[in-house]
Amino acid sequence: MIDTPAQVESRPTAPSVPAPEVPRQPRPERHPEEGTPDPVFRVKDLSFYYGPHQALRDVSIDIGAHEITAFIGPSGCGKTTFIRCLNRMNDLIPGARVEGEIDFEGRPLYGADIRAIDIRRRIGMVFQKPNPFPKSIYDNIALTPRRNGVKKSELDGLVEESLRRASLWDEVKDKLQQSAFSLSGGQQQRLCIARAIAVRPDVILMDEPCSALDPVATFRIEELMAELKGDYTIVIVTHNMQQAARVSDRTAFFTVDVSDQGRVGVLVEIGETSNIFTSPEDQRTEDYITGRFG
Amino acid sequence: MTARRIRNAAFWSACTLAFLCVAAPALSVLISVFHQALPALGWSLLLKRTNGIGIQNAILGTLVMLLGVLILAGGVGVAAGIYLAEFATGRHERLLRFFSEILAGMPAIVIGYIGYITMVVQFHWGFSLAAAVISLSILVLPYVVKTTEVALRQVPTFLREASAGLGLDSTTTVWRILIPPALPGIVSGLIVALAISTGELAPLLFTAGFSDQNPSLALVHHQVPYLTGVIFTDLALPGARAHATSAAAGAVTLILLIILIAVGRLVSRGARRATARMTI
Amino acid sequence: MSITTEVRPEPSVPPRSARGRVPGLSADRSVRSLLLVAALLPTAALVFLTYQMVKTAWPAVIFNGVSFFTTKTFTIGNLYATGTEVHHGYTAAKGASYGILPLVFGTLVSSFIAVTLAVPVSVGGAILLAERIPVRLQGVLGTFLELLAGIPSVVFGLWGVYTFGPVLSRTVFKWIAALHIPWFGGPAGAGQGLLTASLVLAVMIVPIIAATTRELVRSVPSISKEGAVALGLTSSETVRIVTIPFIRTGVVAASILGLARALGETIAVLIISGNFLNAFPHSIFDPFSTMASTIAAFLDSALTDSTGMAVHSLAEVGLVLLVITLVANLAGRMLTRRFSGAGLPVGRGV
Repeated sequence: MIDTPAQVESRPTAPSVPAPEVPRQPRPERHPEEGTPDPVFRVKDLSFYYGPHQALRDVSIDIGAHEITAFIGPSGCGKTTFIRCLNRMNDLIPGARVEGEIDFEGRPLYGADIRAIDIRRRIGMVFQKPNPFPKSIYDNIALTPRRNGVKKSELDGLVEESLRRASLWDEVKDKLQQSAFSLSGGQQQRLCIARAIAVRPDVILMDEPCSALDPVATFRIEELMAELKGDYTIVIVTHNMQQAARVSDRTAFFTVDVSDQGRVGVLVEIGETSNIFTSPEDQRTEDYITGRFG
Repeated sequence: MTARRIRNAAFWSACTLAFLCVAAPALSVLISVFHQALPALGWSLLLKRTNGIGIQNAILGTLVMLLGVLILAGGVGVAAGIYLAEFATGRHERLLRFFSEILAGMPAIVIGYIGYITMVVQFHWGFSLAAAVISLSILVLPYVVKTTEVALRQVPTFLREASAGLGLDSTTTVWRILIPPALPGIVSGLIVALAISTGELAPLLFTAGFSDQNPSLALVHHQVPYLTGVIFTDLALPGARAHATSAAAGAVTLILLIILIAVGRLVSRGARRATARMTI
Repeated sequence: MSITTEVRPEPSVPPRSARGRVPGLSADRSVRSLLLVAALLPTAALVFLTYQMVKTAWPAVIFNGVSFFTTKTFTIGNLYATGTEVHHGYTAAKGASYGILPLVFGTLVSSFIAVTLAVPVSVGGAILLAERIPVRLQGVLGTFLELLAGIPSVVFGLWGVYTFGPVLSRTVFKWIAALHIPWFGGPAGAGQGLLTASLVLAVMIVPIIAATTRELVRSVPSISKEGAVALGLTSSETVRIVTIPFIRTGVVAASILGLARALGETIAVLIISGNFLNAFPHSIFDPFSTMASTIAAFLDSALTDSTGMAVHSLAEVGLVLLVITLVANLAGRMLTRRFSGAGLPVGRGV
């Protein structure tokens, strides 16, 4: 996966089909060097441990509302570990430990009075491999809202709305009762996005959502992200630098720091995507995006 | 070269012989039991009780016990299996699993003996359905626990992640997301438990008692007739008729087992399909 | 991976009003406690059984002392005679003597003969089944194996005492006896005795060992097999060089579990052994007794012993049996865990 800055510069026209017009909320002016105003996540000195092994060291990052932030970096740099800290998915791993601060909408995400369940309802997640439930397409989407107390009469509408937002409605509207596994990989991934949307989250985390998909399906997901950006804050982990360049507003570059203590993931820099890919500040970033490393 | 070929042929002949040694006894058991049962086979077997020339009460008694085992060992075992697979962690998980496996190695006669000393004598339940069902349940509990746990562990992790990522609570995750795909595995475990219960005698010998009456659903103070009891008692009685009744009870037990194994096969085929559907 | 979601009383990031209440969460904790109680029950049952066994056996342990393991006579005494036997402050019926030496001998010897016979037969049969028999037939034969594992021990007893034993004693046993080998000579009997019981036990544990072996043979990586075939080895050499080393530990583990099953087997042995007490069998055709079958055979009369020592002594027999089978099971399970993480229970057939 080698990107050259030249490819990146053509970013505005990167999707060969023009993205459909989506009403977008006006975005505030901002200066890159000042970071993000009104960030959704404010992370300070985050370190993460799997048992005795440290996986992330001193990550500080702000993630802005209604924009797409991409995490890139070589394998093992902790970008997936980091994104899973943002909705406390790592709570599921026995022996996992978080140090440092993550504020979500101004409150500590790991505060003693915060339930991980509530957090995950506010912060949806889409995984590397499409992971629909072994149920019908309809139930995949309706299950969570139903458990969350959405009235039966409102369910049909919610399912349709979520599928439309995930631009899957036209493909599945005649087979809502069929198994989700009857869909193609790309459709399954969009179903998973619809399923996340149906919970009405504020943030959608995507952990390499296209790594198991073919280029056409990948393109549809990227298109979808651009559409969703107006309503949701999106964080995406990707292996594919072109993808980061195409879809994201800001890009964070992680790498592996090898020392006597072992291999630890660190954040190298974060900035406007165009800046990261054209004039990175750090030599390590430049080495990575020009293909000299990783 | 020929020496090698001869050795090869000798090896596979030995294997074939070994296989025949495995298969022949099983065939012989089936043929022998049904052959000995022939004089007693007939509708009266199902319509008359053991004070006549039938075993109706024993069949019903065995079925009542199976129901009891299904409720007790099934309920407790499935719940314990869910806990071990989804909630328990670390040392305490390993300990619980270890003790459950030790329990699986407990000789049946020891369970029956303690069942007699405690439930029948100390608790004054007498020979009874409760004592019999509890003894059988202790015997099969580890199997239900283990098969439930294994069935749940075979459910792919991505479903747990998907569920957690949506903010579903753990109860919903278990009941709505994890149990449905694991169900065939859990059910075939329950069927194995029922098959073991159908054929066991050692834990019942001193807990169930026997009766010529049809079983009632009373838990204590009422003895329960059962199939393996008929096989064992009538085997030792003099006379061709008792001998035939013993074999007939054996034949009915085997038929019950064949039905259970067939159902188990169907269910586990369903289990394989369910797993195939989940791996994309 | 288990789910260890935090359950906290008051969320400070409240769910949006549109999302409404959060059902199921308060139930979450009580459901989990209920499941925990169920998960503790097998352990509780084990502790209870062991405790009751020790408690019931304790008077006998004191009364019998070491002679329990060194004496050959096992009798509950003359319940109608006047006077009693008193040892260490505990009382038993006149003439009572509890020695289990022949029972331990019968248990161990019958089980070891059974395992020795069952292992080669099951391994050979399983290798043939997994490597040579067409897949379509394998399903049928697998079901057959399952049925063999599911045949109740009392049915094996019925078969052994009316079909298998008599046929053997008229044929094979006579031929062996005619050779006049010590321990294998003497009258061939009517088919109730040590050899018949050992053979029936072997038939009973064959499916346990065969089923495990079949799974193991199937799990041998085909790459290794192809490698051997590519070297020009014959199929039997491939089995010897590739398959056998791969499955060895697993087969040993399954054999130990089979041994544990044979040690604890009660009903079939009770029917076929001939229930001979108080002496060692003189030949392999002689009747004998095991610990498990003695418990089953004696309980009825033990209840009539007003001193209670008979019941206590049977409990002590059970305790010794328990210890022996536990050791065998633990050994088998440790090995099982080494070759597979799943460690499915294979103790009791089916």
